[in-house]
Amino acid sequence: MSGGINIARTDKLRAFALLSPAYLWLTLAVFLPLSAMAFFSFLTEVPFGDAEWSVTLTNYSAFFESSTFSRLLLKSVMLGVKVTALCVLIGFPCAWVLAKMIKGRAREALFLMVILPFWSNSLVRIFSWAIVLRGNGVLDKFVNAIWPWDVKVNLLFSEWAIVIGLVHSYLPYVILTSYLALQAIDDSLIEAARSLGAKWWTILWRIVLPLSAPGLLAGAVLVFVPVVGSFMEPRILGGRMGTYYGTLIEDQFVAVFNWPLGAALSFILLAVVLIILAVASPILKRAQT
Amino acid sequence: MKAQLRTRVTTGIGIFYLSSILFFLYAPILVMAAMSFNASEFYQLPFQFSTQWYERMWENEAILSAAWRSIWIAIVTTVFATALGTAASVALWRYDFPGKRILQVLLFPPIAIPWLITGTAMLIFFFGVGIGRGTPAVILGHVALALPYVIVVVTARLATFDRTLEEAARSLGARPWMVTRRVMLPWIAPGVIAGALFAFAVSFDQFVISYFLSEPGDSTLPVLIYTAIRKGFTPEINAISTIIIAVSMVVMLTAARFTKFGGEK
Amino acid sequence: MSEVRVNNIVKTYKTARALDDVTLTFPDGGFFGLLGPSGSGKTTLLRTIAGFVEPDTGSVTIGDRPVVNVPVEAREIGMVFQNYALFPNMTVADNVDFGLRVRGVTGNDAKRRVAEALELVQLGPLGKRYPHELSGGQRQRVAMARAIAPRPRVLLLDEPLSALDKSLRVDMQIELKRIQREVGITTIFVTHDQEEALTLSDRIGILKGGRLVREGRPQEVYADPGDTFTARFLGEANVFDGKPEGSLLELLGGARVTRPEKATRIAVRPEHMTVSTVEPEGPNVLRAELRQRIFAGAMGTCVLEWQGQPVKAIARQEEFDGLPEKGAVWLSWSDRHARALTVD
Repeated sequence: MSGGINIARTDKLRAFALLSPAYLWLTLAVFLPLSAMAFFSFLTEVPFGDAEWSVTLTNYSAFFESSTFSRLLLKSVMLGVKVTALCVLIGFPCAWVLAKMIKGRAREALFLMVILPFWSNSLVRIFSWAIVLRGNGVLDKFVNAIWPWDVKVNLLFSEWAIVIGLVHSYLPYVILTSYLALQAIDDSLIEAARSLGAKWWTILWRIVLPLSAPGLLAGAVLVFVPVVGSFMEPRILGGRMGTYYGTLIEDQFVAVFNWPLGAALSFILLAVVLIILAVASPILKRAQT
Repeated sequence: MKAQLRTRVTTGIGIFYLSSILFFLYAPILVMAAMSFNASEFYQLPFQFSTQWYERMWENEAILSAAWRSIWIAIVTTVFATALGTAASVALWRYDFPGKRILQVLLFPPIAIPWLITGTAMLIFFFGVGIGRGTPAVILGHVALALPYVIVVVTARLATFDRTLEEAARSLGARPWMVTRRVMLPWIAPGVIAGALFAFAVSFDQFVISYFLSEPGDSTLPVLIYTAIRKGFTPEINAISTIIIAVSMVVMLTAARFTKFGGEK
Repeated sequence: MSEVRVNNIVKTYKTARALDDVTLTFPDGGFFGLLGPSGSGKTTLLRTIAGFVEPDTGSVTIGDRPVVNVPVEAREIGMVFQNYALFPNMTVADNVDFGLRVRGVTGNDAKRRVAEALELVQLGPLGKRYPHELSGGQRQRVAMARAIAPRPRVLLLDEPLSALDKSLRVDMQIELKRIQREVGITTIFVTHDQEEALTLSDRIGILKGGRLVREGRPQEVYADPGDTFTARFLGEANVFDGKPEGSLLELLGGARVTRPEKATRIAVRPEHMTVSTVEPEGPNVLRAELRQRIFAGAMGTCVLEWQGQPVKAIARQEEFDGLPEKGAVWLSWSDRHARALTVD
């Protein structure tokens, strides 16, 4: 208890003791695997057993030589753009209604309802869309019940089905982040703008959007990144239509077993994702201040 | 009067819009629940009530064992991720040291990199070092994914903790461990519980990582469902899915109430 | 109870000196007010004594015990925080009990001491309440009771009354003084409110830019501030610069005034200024322009201008009523009210 204890040193030891388990775990399960994958992407063969292997760039050159790969990457990126745009267009107004138009307990309850599907299994949700969208399915029956003419609604195994399913899965992200950003905007700012004579679109454009941009963008990134790499949703809802960059990578690992090629394709995807994050990060940083 | 009317009309439109979104979010889930009680194997309408899919599910060994495996993997993941994550958040919050920013940035890869990439990378690495596929690999992966979520949630709660409370406790003679136990932990408890729920949800819902890391005969529920869907839909999947959704919603609702009670004041 | 001493304390943050060689003794059982504008280092000094701030160099002793290397929890201090820092998850009684429990005081002994402490701050019946169920003044009292209950060697108060509104603050000042007298504990408190410091303290210390510029009994320091900063910070002061002319000082415009202690700069408090319409006898007379009269009850303030410099005078009501709204007047003061200031 008496003097002589070096306070700063014991602090360092405590910090180390508290931090190292978590970061060791992350190293073992994330950082080392990513490094291993980087290494693999330059190999000719999987270096297990007594396989012959050497270092090569062919896995990367394969991507640039065949237009199939880049076409699929573009298709995945476009899918990401479509889904993200739809999520933002649908989700932001929804967050606005929640944050600024509804008050008190009703808001809490509604907010909870919006994010609740989030915690139900994503696979199960995608599967339920398959039931709804298939020919002779629920949507088909529903439309035919209210529509006087006979139509065939069979959206399953189309790009539409994939987009709907993905929007459904990721919409809560955008609503959640936009809601948090909008809630942080002091009502008095909007009142001040109104007292100065601003119309609602001016308020939206000059005040609300700039202030909530970081939150909105964070939501968009949270949607875009997983959608670009999605493979389960295209497989279930797209059927034969559903070949994307994600399914291509999946095939390398579970069907074709060309792991080095799969690793290279994964790293190209990672590069695309990192570029997008880098572009978004200056605006995202603003959210922290 | 006019302004009031306009406010009412806009609020009305807003509520209508919100209801449509809620309809969009819940309709497929409700359809799935309804179909699990429909007698037809091919989801034929008109609807005929039957509980046969639940009975069949109850006899389906593969589904039941996958469900149990999913649950206990989620529990193990929750315990590890919550303990390690809470410790790390406290350290990141309390201490200042060189490299702290880097450690904080390093939490993002598991969240920001598509799971497809992380999952395949884990597969490669675990194979290379001899861990291979199977339940230990799945748990390793799940904890790593859940950790950043726990840290983010607990850190958010810690940010609302008034540091002078800690100083007050120390000025009253409390040693560091006492300060943590009597003052800080009670305050962050709701955050830790929320973090634990996140970890459970991340693990229980996790498909991609489990898909690449679980052994064929030893799969978790989402992986089993995926395989079943690709081989052809079976309504037993509807039954188990409905149960999962119902249970997770009940859990989340209780959790939401519980965490509200824990603090704020 | 103990005397507290700090010797040659230096604390640097990045490049800014928060404390620059501060040496000060806080007498046993006294009520010491640390005063200064924001950024003057007064809170840093208090937190150095508490142990939350580790000084770069210098020593701190509580009683006869050097404590620089002793962690906060072993220093036997009691502290009241600006926002009170009451534990929200504990009742009032549990808050007060906290410091006893960590010292191993339990059972009836602890109960009795909690009750005593709450009695002392006149909150006897509120032990079962939670902090959020109390008013601001009550929370302040709980914070006091909690700090005192473990019988610390020194009580540290960090702007303890700043969160209260004006009238409550005045009541609490009286309470604080009473409690401190009853317990007889060495108390150091930090404030930026000069009036509060003058009311409460036996001694005050004034800090500026991390340096101790003045220390002494409040009356002493007020009457003879010594330097320009202290003169202006503690109350108001009219400051005049001049050229020495033997025992006199020649001010701008040629007016000659008495020169105390060979100073070239003097200060006169507004309440010691006399404003009149006829030229008074004696020295220390200036011709000034009355710009504005502000009525404020028993006293009135006159805003004047002399040689382009603003001058303030406070006049009693009958004097005040006799003055015109504006125009040329005479300003004067008696020799004993002119104080020498150092020029820095």
